[in-house]
Amino acid sequence: MIYELKMEEDAGTTVNNLLRSMLKDGKIDALVAMQETPTGKSAFPTMVSDPDKLHTNVFAPLLPVSIGTVVSHMTKVQGTKKPLAVVLRACELRALLELAKIKQADLDNLILIGVDCLGTFPMKTYSDFDGDPTEVLLKGEGEEYLRTACLNCKDPVPENADIVIGVYGADEGLFLDARTEKGEGILSDMNLDETEDVEVREQAVSDVRGKKDETRKEFMEEHADILGVDKLLEFFDTCVNCHNCMKACPICYCKECLFESSVFDLEANKYMAKAKSKGAFKTPTDSLLFHVTRFNHMILSCVECGLCEQACPSDIPLMDIITSIAENAQREFEYEPGKDPEEEMPMVVYREDEFQDVGEG
Amino acid sequence: MSENDKTKEDFEPKVVGFLCNWCSYAGADLAGTSRIQYPPNIRVIRVMCSGSVDSVYVNRALIEGADAVLIGGCHPGDCHYLNGNYKARRKMVLMKNILTTLGMEPERVWLRWISASEGQKFADTVKEIVEETKKLGPNPMKERWNI
Repeated sequence: MIYELKMEEDAGTTVNNLLRSMLKDGKIDALVAMQETPTGKSAFPTMVSDPDKLHTNVFAPLLPVSIGTVVSHMTKVQGTKKPLAVVLRACELRALLELAKIKQADLDNLILIGVDCLGTFPMKTYSDFDGDPTEVLLKGEGEEYLRTACLNCKDPVPENADIVIGVYGADEGLFLDARTEKGEGILSDMNLDETEDVEVREQAVSDVRGKKDETRKEFMEEHADILGVDKLLEFFDTCVNCHNCMKACPICYCKECLFESSVFDLEANKYMAKAKSKGAFKTPTDSLLFHVTRFNHMILSCVECGLCEQACPSDIPLMDIITSIAENAQREFEYEPGKDPEEEMPMVVYREDEFQDVGEG
Repeated sequence: MSENDKTKEDFEPKVVGFLCNWCSYAGADLAGTSRIQYPPNIRVIRVMCSGSVDSVYVNRALIEGADAVLIGGCHPGDCHYLNGNYKARRKMVLMKNILTTLGMEPERVWLRWISASEGQKFADTVKEIVEETKKLGPNPMKERWNI
């Protein structure tokens, strides 16, 4: 059921009051949501249990870290026994559901509150912003500041949340969409009115998805020329092999990555032999190998949050190639990460009668 | 003449083969003991299962300049570990898909089912890979010092 949330002052205050009353009524024990730091120059996922210390800004256009990762760290050792609300964006929710599939997060007793995402700014753009970035974005402006990943977002409306805080299609106020029984149970006794604009909401969501699909397609066509070893070497020319992309990635969860190990450290004579056979080679070695292998390991679960690109100290526009790689690979296996929590990941299942042309000559 | 100076026609491809212990490796062994002739271009690495061949091994072989990579496993349904070869097949599909998107010559990577009794099939497979790879020419990654 979709409810209407009447606007008080502004969207941020409205959501804060809603979350505060959930805390006060004991519907939740604590919550994790984006909260601005005292400087106002950044915002981070913050766990709040004291209603007086709650001043979240769930619309802050900033993604310093995926809340998927944060919740994974909080629940993978042991899940919560008391209700914990998590307010997250669509890409963060997709990441969290993927992590739950590989037992890196426990969704028990979590109340997943999705927020329509209007996109996020690069960290620096956000902190240096002249004015209030949240307000600009909520007004429907500021598209020129968005990160590449957000411009080409595959779906900014969170699926599979218990409750969705809807901005798209909302004229005055916000939508509150109870998408599961758990969500309905929380919202049903909060004195909310059912909205009369269900169709308006649905139309707005399908419009924004359609628009994103189009920009995404254009973007992939625009970058389809990064093909072949020489173009790739040019693309990764400034890579310093720091592995920040991997560390920022919500999907790269391995505690001990192969590329952080000493597997690639060889005896000196092997390097000398390689130099003799090739004439010369660049160090650090295995940097293209790192990227290609990383794609193989995480791309089917890639939620396209673009944190890899944001983490790159050399500003390599990773999403220029990752968008296409993810699109093609996920299409091959008809898999959409974060879409269906029950769906198994492609690399852990198989069918006897599939891909039969592979392996036969 | 160093290997790098050879032209497309007369170059001898280097093929890295990951063969599963239970079928393909035994198949290669049989080819040897049966004295079946096949090109000496393949360098065999024995692995316990085709399903254990991670993309990192294949990609490293390619990036370090192998002209082709073969993964050999038991026929579907015959895997010693029941389903490793089905998983190898999925990994191969993903690997080739990514290599295609990146324009990195997916046709250099091969997956073949070769049983322990198929010495001839192993020899034929190596022959086929060498012929096809000669048509492709040397792996360009061999030449790149900045890779």
